[in-house]
Amino acid sequence: MSKSITRVKRVGKPFVVLMYAVCIFFAIMSLFPFVVMIINSTRNTYQVQQSALSFIPSTHLLENLKILTSKDIFHPLLGFLNSLIISSGTTLCAVYFSTLTAYAIVAYQWKLRNAFFTMILAVMMIPAQVTSIGFYQMIYRVHMTNNFLPLILPAIASPSMVFFMRQYMIPSLPMEIIESARVDGCREFRIFNQIVIPMVKPAMATQGIFCFVASWNQLFLPQILLTRKNKYTMPIMVSLLKGDIYKTEYGAVYLGLALTVLPLFVVYFVLSKYIIAGVALGGVKG
Amino acid sequence: MKKSLIVLLMLALAVSMVFANAAAETGAGKKTVLNVMSFTDEVPKMIERYFELHPEEAAKYEVNTTIIATTDGLYQPALDEALAQGGAGAPDIYCAEAAFILKYSQGDASQYAATYKSLGIDVDKLIKEADIAQYTIDIGSRNGELVGLGYQATGGAFIYNRSVAKDAFGSDDPAVVAEKIGAGTQSWDKFFEAAAELRKKGYAIVSGDGDIWHAIENSSDKGWIVNGKLYIDPKREAFLDLSKKLKDNDYHNDTQDWQEGWYADMKEAGAKKVLGFYGPAWLINYVMAGNSGDTYGDWGVCASNVGFFWGGTWVLANKDTTKKDIVAKIITWITLDYSETGLQYFWANGTLNGEGGTKDTVASGTVMAKSDGKLDFLNNQNMFEAFVPANKYANGKNLTQYDETINTYWRDQVRQYTAGAKTREQAIADFKTQVKENLDVIVE
Amino acid sequence: MKKNGSFSYARYGYLFSIPFIVAYIIFHLYPILYTLIIGFTDLKGLGKTSFTFLANPLQNFKEILSSELFRTALKNTVVIWITNFIPQIVFALLFTAWFTSPRCKLRGQGFFKVVFYMPNIMTAATIAVLFQALFSYPTSPVNDLLMKLGIISSPFNFQVSKLSAKLVVAFIQFWMWYGYTMIILISGVLGINPEIFEAAEIDGCSSSQTFFRITLPCLKTIILYVLITALIGGLTMYDIPRMYLNGGPDSSTLTLNVFIYNQAFSGSYMYNRAAAASVLVFLLIGICSVFVFRMYRDKDQKKTDRVRRHLAAGKEAVNE
Repeated sequence: MSKSITRVKRVGKPFVVLMYAVCIFFAIMSLFPFVVMIINSTRNTYQVQQSALSFIPSTHLLENLKILTSKDIFHPLLGFLNSLIISSGTTLCAVYFSTLTAYAIVAYQWKLRNAFFTMILAVMMIPAQVTSIGFYQMIYRVHMTNNFLPLILPAIASPSMVFFMRQYMIPSLPMEIIESARVDGCREFRIFNQIVIPMVKPAMATQGIFCFVASWNQLFLPQILLTRKNKYTMPIMVSLLKGDIYKTEYGAVYLGLALTVLPLFVVYFVLSKYIIAGVALGGVKG
Repeated sequence: MKKSLIVLLMLALAVSMVFANAAAETGAGKKTVLNVMSFTDEVPKMIERYFELHPEEAAKYEVNTTIIATTDGLYQPALDEALAQGGAGAPDIYCAEAAFILKYSQGDASQYAATYKSLGIDVDKLIKEADIAQYTIDIGSRNGELVGLGYQATGGAFIYNRSVAKDAFGSDDPAVVAEKIGAGTQSWDKFFEAAAELRKKGYAIVSGDGDIWHAIENSSDKGWIVNGKLYIDPKREAFLDLSKKLKDNDYHNDTQDWQEGWYADMKEAGAKKVLGFYGPAWLINYVMAGNSGDTYGDWGVCASNVGFFWGGTWVLANKDTTKKDIVAKIITWITLDYSETGLQYFWANGTLNGEGGTKDTVASGTVMAKSDGKLDFLNNQNMFEAFVPANKYANGKNLTQYDETINTYWRDQVRQYTAGAKTREQAIADFKTQVKENLDVIVE
Repeated sequence: MKKNGSFSYARYGYLFSIPFIVAYIIFHLYPILYTLIIGFTDLKGLGKTSFTFLANPLQNFKEILSSELFRTALKNTVVIWITNFIPQIVFALLFTAWFTSPRCKLRGQGFFKVVFYMPNIMTAATIAVLFQALFSYPTSPVNDLLMKLGIISSPFNFQVSKLSAKLVVAFIQFWMWYGYTMIILISGVLGINPEIFEAAEIDGCSSSQTFFRITLPCLKTIILYVLITALIGGLTMYDIPRMYLNGGPDSSTLTLNVFIYNQAFSGSYMYNRAAAASVLVFLLIGICSVFVFRMYRDKDQKKTDRVRRHLAAGKEAVNE
């Protein structure tokens, strides 16, 4: 196989320096807006007006928080809860039912199987925005605007997740175990829930994380369906920060922005390894 | 790790559902819920105060407020949605700003508004006794019946920086400044003469073109839509040229209203010191006072050269409301009560929540006559002297229901023209395209 | 897998697929058809739900196609997308090459990956408003920075100039997605059979030759995936242009989806035109996707054939 000859040509020193320089530049570029956002959250309006750019945090965090919440307009906690409900519901529906559907495609031989899978492939590429006007009208007619269900239930049909789970299951599904479970008299549904699901947990978890983040960040559909302020999700709350009322409260605006992405920061730093691994997995299989 | 994550997720979901449920439940207590929808916290705070002053009512009602700012056009779709859906969640009392009030009093959404008479309010008598400004009645009436009324009178005047005036004109007396800008002439000629004079001394006359726009907008003869078609009133079209003149001669700091640079000019922090701002009383109390920094107390107000009104909030009631009684009481208190315990009196004198609050000009002439408009922001000048006469110029007949949107397009195009990015004809053509393609208006 | 005796489990295949199918029909298929239908009607106005079909069925479509704003939106969407995508794919490939090259062991790769990917996770709406604050005029972090570095002498109004508005939106899109693209490409490279690289080394290929002649061709499917998803994402760009400057100034950042939203919700509630525009955008996506697929199919064959030949030749050399 591989020879352990040190024939590998090493790259010259100056080039290495260049590479590090470029990488560091991009790292700074990626972090810069967030750093500014966090630091400016702790400074008050006057300081920000004097010099908008500063790397030294100040002590006005609580003050800004008070301004932010005093006007009864921006409710980060409410937005957080709403986003949490919708995203969790969406993720659970999507992950569970996609795995179920993928299992149906992989584990059973049935006449329409291939046609079904082809349909899923085709449908994967239709972006949600194209269906939105009809969707909105439909929900409006049944008086279900400002309701979370129309945002959660559609996730039961998630073509791209079905595709991914199928790709994952094909090499990794242990048919012998399933067979023996059948011999033991297990019902199919129980087999799915108690044997198959534990087997594909890693894939479910990774897809779950993505689904959660994507749902959390969704703006278009929630914005047209949820018009009552007490139903606003986080991304919609962000737009309230641009209002005249906060126009001159620069410190508070930065703090508001920071609050809307705080949960994402936490999730990301705790799970970054899994998230990145998941992206990689998605890329290869997808 | 992943398993515990899933468990955590489900726990979070369960917990939040309990919370959400609980939050929804509190509305169904023994108090009747009153739904209020507005785009600032002004009216909600008034209603709060009403219940403080009337504890016997407070015991029976609970207020559910929704405030959505008008930025990015988010308020109207939300209000429209709430009104169209109806039911228990629909607002009982809702507010509309001058920029779009017509839609709710006379236009596409006026079907949802209750006439004040149907609420049991003796409209004719109260209007006469309170001496309500005519333009706010005109705007708030649907086929002659009153459906909405504003609590403010927002006639505009010219608010100027005394130090700048003293240095440039030799005096900071309102009469002198008024004469300099051509008060009463309904034209901009003297204004530009004064601008040139100021420029020589290194001052700007206004902060940005937005400052003269409101005067121009509301002094035009006709509105944006005449007989269902887009109409560009010559006075409004002149704004293109006036704005360009300001820019070419460097008479202003080229700021955009409601942006940082505009606020900065209120505290003399801009490129040049600015003489003044055109605006109604609320501009002083709700915008300039807080942003004036060290210049606080160094301002004055005088008559404007072009009469206009700008802004204002109208209060409407939902015709399907089941709480007619309390809604009628609240609306009367806010818009038609001219006694010393009515909102208007508190509002005019700044005593809504105790002494020393912000003052404002109100719709009731009766109240204005017995109120004190002295402000230390204006070096103790009585602002009513300038603002009350200004109200007679307010024209309530040149508004349309699409004003908010159309004005945005118009200002955008004018800005492009004055920045030199397109020709005058192109700006007008692009403006027409915007209106034609985004709104249901016939454009020729 | 074989049936157990005479008992067929096939019906479970149907059974388990039912939730998906039902949900799909209700929440996806029906709305798609409904959108399509609305495009042929006169449905507009506040609170209306009844509609009549237009005498001239294609009227809405004609109006949209001849609409100046639609064309502007189309142009903007394409221009912004290209401005965003080209640097994105270039830098993503560059970093991929560096991070997977056996010849330069870059330290801290894990750190860089985490940092590069981070912008992708954040809510686009927050990012748009944040950038609006960063680029505001006259005082803003970016203006301050540029002045401190001496690049400009007085603040520049990024939000009034149409060109800079477009560039900033394109930059934000680039900033949000280059990390994601990079990670996908890296994983693709890691999936390439190491024997191919060994063969190349034996033949004395330089690192750039390896990259361009071997890595890239093997990544063709992945790049196709990236291209298609970027295309769909780009043509449906909404969050950033809407929250940054709401399509302004002067419609310079108006993208197709912001245009659709305005038709439906900016005052006249013209659902019929919005629906027609949605259908047109959908057709556009379809056409572009097919086009990209076609392009790839032909190139793909030639390149993989070449690689196979190379590999076969290398193996022969080793075996001798």
